[in-house]
Amino acid sequence: MQFSGTHRIEATPQEVWSFVTDPKGVSSCVPDVQSIETISPEQFKAVVKAGLGPVRGKFNFDIHWKELTEPSLARMSAQGKTPGSAVTMDTVMTLTPLDGGAATELSWTADVVVHGMIASVGARLMNGFVEKQTEQFFGCLSGKVKAV
Amino acid sequence: MAIESPKIMGYGTSPKRKEDPRFLHGKGTYVDDIKLPGMLHMDIVRSPYAHAKITNINIEPALETPGVLAVITGKDLDAAGLAWMPTLMSDTQMVLPVEKVVYQSQEVAAVIATDRYTAADGVMAVEVDYEPLPAVVDPFKALEKDSPLVRPDKGKDTNHIWHWEAGDKDATDKVFADADIVVEEDLYIPRIHVASIETCGCVASYDAVNGKLTIWMTTQAPHAIRTVFSLVSGIPEHKIRVISPDIGGGFGGKVPVYPGYVIAVVASLKTGRPVKWIEDRSENLQADSFARDYHITAQLAADKDGRIRGMKVKTLADHGAADAAANPSKFPAGLFSICTGSYDLEAAHVEVDAVYTTKPPGGVAYRCSFRVTEAVHTIERMVDRLAVELDRDPADLRYQNFIPKENFPYKSPTGWEYDSGDYKQALDVALERIGYEDLRKEQAEKRARGELMGIGISTFTEIVGAGPSNTFDILGIKMFDSAEIRIHPTGSAIVRIGVQTQGQGHETTFAQIVAEELGLPVDNITVEHGDTDTAPYGLGTYASRSTPTAGAATAVAARKIREKAKHIAAHLLECNPDDLEWKDYKFSVKGVPDRSKTMQEIAFAAYTNHPQGMEAGLEAVNYYDPPNLTFPFGAYVCVVDIDPGTGVVKIRRFVAIDDCGTVINPMIVEGQIHGGLTMGMAPSLFEEIPYDENGNNMAGTFMDYLLPTSLETPNWETGNTVTPSPHHPFGAKGVGESPTVGAPPAIVNAVVDALSHLGVKHVDIPMTPWKIHKLITDAQATTA
Repeated sequence: MQFSGTHRIEATPQEVWSFVTDPKGVSSCVPDVQSIETISPEQFKAVVKAGLGPVRGKFNFDIHWKELTEPSLARMSAQGKTPGSAVTMDTVMTLTPLDGGAATELSWTADVVVHGMIASVGARLMNGFVEKQTEQFFGCLSGKVKAV
Repeated sequence: MAIESPKIMGYGTSPKRKEDPRFLHGKGTYVDDIKLPGMLHMDIVRSPYAHAKITNINIEPALETPGVLAVITGKDLDAAGLAWMPTLMSDTQMVLPVEKVVYQSQEVAAVIATDRYTAADGVMAVEVDYEPLPAVVDPFKALEKDSPLVRPDKGKDTNHIWHWEAGDKDATDKVFADADIVVEEDLYIPRIHVASIETCGCVASYDAVNGKLTIWMTTQAPHAIRTVFSLVSGIPEHKIRVISPDIGGGFGGKVPVYPGYVIAVVASLKTGRPVKWIEDRSENLQADSFARDYHITAQLAADKDGRIRGMKVKTLADHGAADAAANPSKFPAGLFSICTGSYDLEAAHVEVDAVYTTKPPGGVAYRCSFRVTEAVHTIERMVDRLAVELDRDPADLRYQNFIPKENFPYKSPTGWEYDSGDYKQALDVALERIGYEDLRKEQAEKRARGELMGIGISTFTEIVGAGPSNTFDILGIKMFDSAEIRIHPTGSAIVRIGVQTQGQGHETTFAQIVAEELGLPVDNITVEHGDTDTAPYGLGTYASRSTPTAGAATAVAARKIREKAKHIAAHLLECNPDDLEWKDYKFSVKGVPDRSKTMQEIAFAAYTNHPQGMEAGLEAVNYYDPPNLTFPFGAYVCVVDIDPGTGVVKIRRFVAIDDCGTVINPMIVEGQIHGGLTMGMAPSLFEEIPYDENGNNMAGTFMDYLLPTSLETPNWETGNTVTPSPHHPFGAKGVGESPTVGAPPAIVNAVVDALSHLGVKHVDIPMTPWKIHKLITDAQATTA
């Protein structure tokens, strides 16, 4: 499944970059993150409690930064699993300065593949789920980046 | 008041089902009702991936769960030589995988715990690491050169499993070359699931002291299962007892050996305690053997005047990760070559290729295991397709091409010898019952008003009762079946049969066979089945084979008893056996009807006053090897109304005229037809198991896998004609799967008929509102 979006954030690309590439910062905007563990600058682990329709579980995510070109391009790959279900997600994020650098356009695409129960039972709920999560995430992000 | 003596209730009578009181009182004993002291519970860890390498399985966290006693993985089974098992088609299937998984929800490990909840907790605690591999979902792409291999263990560089053909290719090509018209259509018969109300499961109990393994199991074929278990495990066959108690629906889905059964046995051997395994609904829908999944391209060749001359069929059979069908071994595509149906064709050629994909193994039955549904769907759709092309009435075209009744026994172009049939009579009755002419007038009026109404016909020929030992076997075991009858001194009897009931009513109908053949009241006859320690060996109940095989065995065994009884009667009546005749359920001296002996009197004498030199007792066994298959048939007519706004298809009327030869119990036959028609409607309108591009099962719950309820089920109008089988001891043919086979094309033909003026020539099942609505709007867009 492909998802994408473009958002305007009232902060400089550098400010946005610092926030979204910091696992602790970014995870503060992901609903239901239970823990974050940094393994190396390119790798961290996250435990996320997620519910998609009747499928609920604690997903253990392995997340890798595949590319970090500061402050304009980041590629991330994540594998998550919970008993009976698995998720892989490849995300690309590009930051473009707006208004002479006072604001930032964040464009993202995510290629999500789900396996197991979450796919069998939850696939038809996925679009709504992703939309809601994205909305919450960027709402939070805009607030936090400005506040920093 | 005198007590009325119990009635015989033989052929053609409808005593109430002997099995029903216990079901109606909630006193049935299903596998999940078996509770043994010290019994443990098993739950299974399943793969979320359709195709993935297993890189690690960490069972430690599960073993730390209080109440978990053991966790079994593929490595444990591999060490015991049990990681793989044979399928009933002589393919191989993983019990638990060691290297990789090949379908979503495949068994990966099993947790054994003190109770069901703890076992489920243990399953959540097992950590499995996978390295995903590309799923192989499309069977056509699976045959392409660069497709990932599903089964590298097979040592071949392709996913192709086998190629099979029937008929005469050259003769068919010749007929096609000089025919006036050829029609062609692609038909897909989708993957479906029997969805029995009782899921699969077992209780395995190994008694280490006596070295005896007892398995209560949801199986339709307990004897065959015992033999397979003995061969695979090395446990001597007499030390294995398989009991198939009350079964909550089989329909073919309970013929195969599932990994869960084998793992539960290993778990009992390992723990020394009984182990129960019962699937949940999603496991049943996602992992158990599927049915159908045939991609068919069919062609009919005909003359301008409507004479159908030849047929060509090419089919791709998607078998999933293993060929786990339960077909006779010489028939990998089952009896699919019956696809010339009720019509007298000059030549036909049928080809089937089977392919592996990353989906659960199959294809077993959905109330028709031997691919007759696919065959009947093909020919009945194609005849309608031709009727449209020639602008002929579909009933008319069928009448023109029926095999005439005087041509039986009829040799079909694919090699079958049809035993008997009168197709014209069945269609006459069906058209008369439904009022065909009036319906056609009504349709014309409605069409003029823009309303969508269609009439569909299916005049199918079935092929059941497998089968003769010279051609039919499963894993080498010949497809005979058996019965053993013992008459007690007071004239009651016990009958043990090699087949096994899952709702068909064997306990009643087999008692009726003995009642009819021996003149004993049906109430005094007990029928036992499903316990391998007591019942004679048989191949089990599926494919409408019980009455044609074990029913015949019961009649033959009864006739052996009757022959002995004749000699006892002669002794009692002090006459020559040749002077006796069997009439009105007793032996009488010819010409002196007053001098007679009933079977009850003879039975008593068999134990108290038998002739000198004769063995005492009155019992017989028969292992019946049918000389041919039986060929039930029917004529179905369906009337549908379609809501153009929603695409919803409503079956307004459905007349089903069946001919299954001699009827034992009309009430039970009618019940089977009602159930079968509903199971024919289900895949026509509702049921399908689709997969997404990653091999995920998209119908793994009853939210997505739509079973019809009484609300969707129309009032079936049933009737019958009787054309006995000439080779069966009492002329019966079998009926259980006929309606499931015959109904879908009648419904599809009705829907296509309703939409034909919009240019619609074919619709694949299931004909969901979405699909029909799209056809209507697309047709309107084209004509606009």
